[in-house]
Amino acid sequence: MIDKVKSLLKEGRVDIFLGYRMMAGHPLPHGFVKERLQEVDELISSNDRYPLEKMAARIAAEHPGIKIGMMARDCNTRAVNVLSIWNQLDPEQIETVDINCCPSNLKDGAQCSYLKPPRSGFHKKQVGIDNQYDPEDFENFDQPERFTRWINEFQKCIKCYGCRNICPVCFCKECSLEHPDLIKTGDLPPEVPIFHLVRAVHMAGRCIDCGLCEEACPVDIPLRLLYRKVNQIVSDIFDYRPGSGPEQSPLSVLGETALLEPEPLKAAGG
Amino acid sequence: MTVKRMRFLQELLRFVGLDGRLHLEWISSAEAQKFVQVVTEFTEKIKALGPNPLAAFNEKIEALGPRAVAGPARRDIPASKLPPAAEKRKAKMASN
Repeated sequence: MIDKVKSLLKEGRVDIFLGYRMMAGHPLPHGFVKERLQEVDELISSNDRYPLEKMAARIAAEHPGIKIGMMARDCNTRAVNVLSIWNQLDPEQIETVDINCCPSNLKDGAQCSYLKPPRSGFHKKQVGIDNQYDPEDFENFDQPERFTRWINEFQKCIKCYGCRNICPVCFCKECSLEHPDLIKTGDLPPEVPIFHLVRAVHMAGRCIDCGLCEEACPVDIPLRLLYRKVNQIVSDIFDYRPGSGPEQSPLSVLGETALLEPEPLKAAGG
Repeated sequence: MTVKRMRFLQELLRFVGLDGRLHLEWISSAEAQKFVQVVTEFTEKIKALGPNPLAAFNEKIEALGPRAVAGPARRDIPASKLPPAAEKRKAKMASN
């Protein structure tokens, strides 16, 4: 892969390549450029994941016309698709180099932090929700139980905005979660369950199930479960899976023109 | 678009345990009687569901006492007044 990236930079097919590099003992995102080609020898693909496509969108916004290469797992590719559909990225500008994230024996070594997710403890399983649940598992609980468990999880929220900050498809410059009229400020936990349900509704048609939100959450709220259910609803009702193709999301307001057909003028007089 | 969103929201609320509390109806401002009827029926339906589970939770939270405040520092405390640990540290450093 190092050779591939070097040739991409040398041939000018990309102006900058986003990958990971060990810095201060941590694998961190780094932009490799032609001017410092020797750095590409330090290019690594680590288990740790960052939303590289979000950074790419930022770079592209500040430097129009720049060509960006990036390392991409499956989730990154889905994110690039969704960002293109929502006009945050021009797919022509992005060149991806795929990393293997499939844990099959037929490939050498999959790399993804989600392959070994942390296990939920006993107490959490008793009163809260096991993060490993699928929506179907959770639906075994009845309504009051579901509610109590979700509230027990949501009340831990410390409003760090980690989930929103790291989400690759969250790009709104004015986030509703920071709007004082919508979410009362100065309260911890933030309005339960409004804060999380607002986020869930905004994820409809956009979430690509990368799981970075749950990884970022300092209090282990089962966000991936919630957004997986959101994706399932969108898939069942609208038959749409974000990131799978170039179609617009059914919940998007972009490009929807509502025409008010003018009534034909009624003939004057009787 | 509204129908799409409401349909989605209904399923989402059902997932978090708040089913049966959502209702969508198209009513013109000229159909006052229909409005009264729909609202009355829905109010009855909600009453039958019992007290709002969120109210019980919110009471519990209020009972815990003053909440942690996220955000800028409180304006009623003058900035010059440091918390006790910092005061001690400052005094110690001054004496050294």
